[in-house]
Amino acid sequence: MTINITRRVALALVGAGFIAATASMPAMAQTVESIKSAGTVKIGMLVDFPPFGIMNESNQPDGYDADVAKLLAKEFGVEVQIVPVTGPNRIPYLQSNQVDLLVASLGITEERAKSVDFSDPYAGISIGVFGAADVDMSKPEDLSGKTIGVARASTQDTAVTAIAPQDATIQRFDDDASAVQALLSGQVELIGVSNVVAAQIEAAAPGRFNQKLELTQQVQGIAVRKGSSELLEAVNAFLDKVKENGELSAIHEKWLGAPLPSFIADAN
Amino acid sequence: MYAFNFAPVFASFDQLLVGAWLTVHLSCAAMLLGLIVSIVCAWGKTAGPFPIRFVINAYIEIIRNTPFLIQIFFIFFGLPSLGLRFSPNSAALLALVINFGAYGTEIIRAGIESIQKGQIEAGTALGLSKLQIFRYVIMKPALRTVYPALTSQFIYLMLTSSVVSAISADDLAAAGNDLQSATFASFEVYIVITLMYLALSIGFSAIFAAVEKMAFKYPLSR
Repeated sequence: MTINITRRVALALVGAGFIAATASMPAMAQTVESIKSAGTVKIGMLVDFPPFGIMNESNQPDGYDADVAKLLAKEFGVEVQIVPVTGPNRIPYLQSNQVDLLVASLGITEERAKSVDFSDPYAGISIGVFGAADVDMSKPEDLSGKTIGVARASTQDTAVTAIAPQDATIQRFDDDASAVQALLSGQVELIGVSNVVAAQIEAAAPGRFNQKLELTQQVQGIAVRKGSSELLEAVNAFLDKVKENGELSAIHEKWLGAPLPSFIADAN
Repeated sequence: MYAFNFAPVFASFDQLLVGAWLTVHLSCAAMLLGLIVSIVCAWGKTAGPFPIRFVINAYIEIIRNTPFLIQIFFIFFGLPSLGLRFSPNSAALLALVINFGAYGTEIIRAGIESIQKGQIEAGTALGLSKLQIFRYVIMKPALRTVYPALTSQFIYLMLTSSVVSAISADDLAAAGNDLQSATFASFEVYIVITLMYLALSIGFSAIFAAVEKMAFKYPLSR
């Protein structure tokens, strides 16, 4: 029996070898030293998650995350190279050494903390019940007899449905925009939305509405590869500093129209 | 290969039935009220003075040349700023009636114009009153002539009502969307509600055929 290795088979074998080598390459712990000696920090961020990550008019990554990433690079005294990532591939990008850090609106969850190390929260999304400023309510029972608009099947739908008393009417719209429209036109008294949308409402109708109840909070952290404890400490020190001196709050004000909420600022 | 799992859909089938009931309710009410609007407007358009004809023409052109979704948004989100506030279900009904009225008017107008002048003059010669002439000599044969067009517009109205879930009215489409978002069995849910809409259409067609037999069974001598 002769083994006839054609050029194509040889190429396939080499290719397979490469894939195996890359796949088995351990995620290397990252240090501040190695970033500084490289002169560039590669930071992964989402570009499809306004206002945290967007592409601006000149087609450059921009948004809250981009500003935080630039600030972090300035702190390290290196150039920033922003690598656009997507929701599903952001952790693999970090694990396969393609980025040094993720400032990618990554919500801190136990599940993810098994794959990456999280810094203190640098951003967050909270979901709350909003309504006209003159409506007086402070607890879920006060929703009794009221109409609350939500976007169907959203996190806010789940959260409002869970706390609303039996005699509250929940009106489910196709999206946040319709729910907001219903609030602005007075078709519903209250709506359940995130603080991001609430900031847009505030911009459209300043002072008319405010938050009545907070339902859930999701904080986001900067992620580093597992075991990069020295880098993580540096990132946390950076976050403490920018929370202290107001720079982070200024970025929050710029993109979300309100100062950094206390559930992010005070979380450590 | 996609593995179908209809169990969660049938577990919450009562939710879909509640939605389907509202769709039937909404459609029937909109058909009846819409038919009345259509007959009145068709009369006004064929026999009324110029200002009335102008208003009716404007109504028909505006409604027939704008999307239903925009009309329903206008009623639900727009009118409150003028102080007119409707619940989602009444806004849905109002939008369906207004929408059907415009199409129905044109259909019935065509029916009325198919009545020959001699027939109306015959009514006058028999000493019938104006209202009697309109009812027996004009309207009934006119409706008989355009009945097929009218019923297909009715079916279309029922199907169009699925859009009202956009303003949070809880019809069959909204019930399906709610169930879909709770179970993530979107394919299964949409298959089931598609079949339910199909069943509703066939059911309405059967009712319309029965009505035709009862109301218009006198022979034609053309």
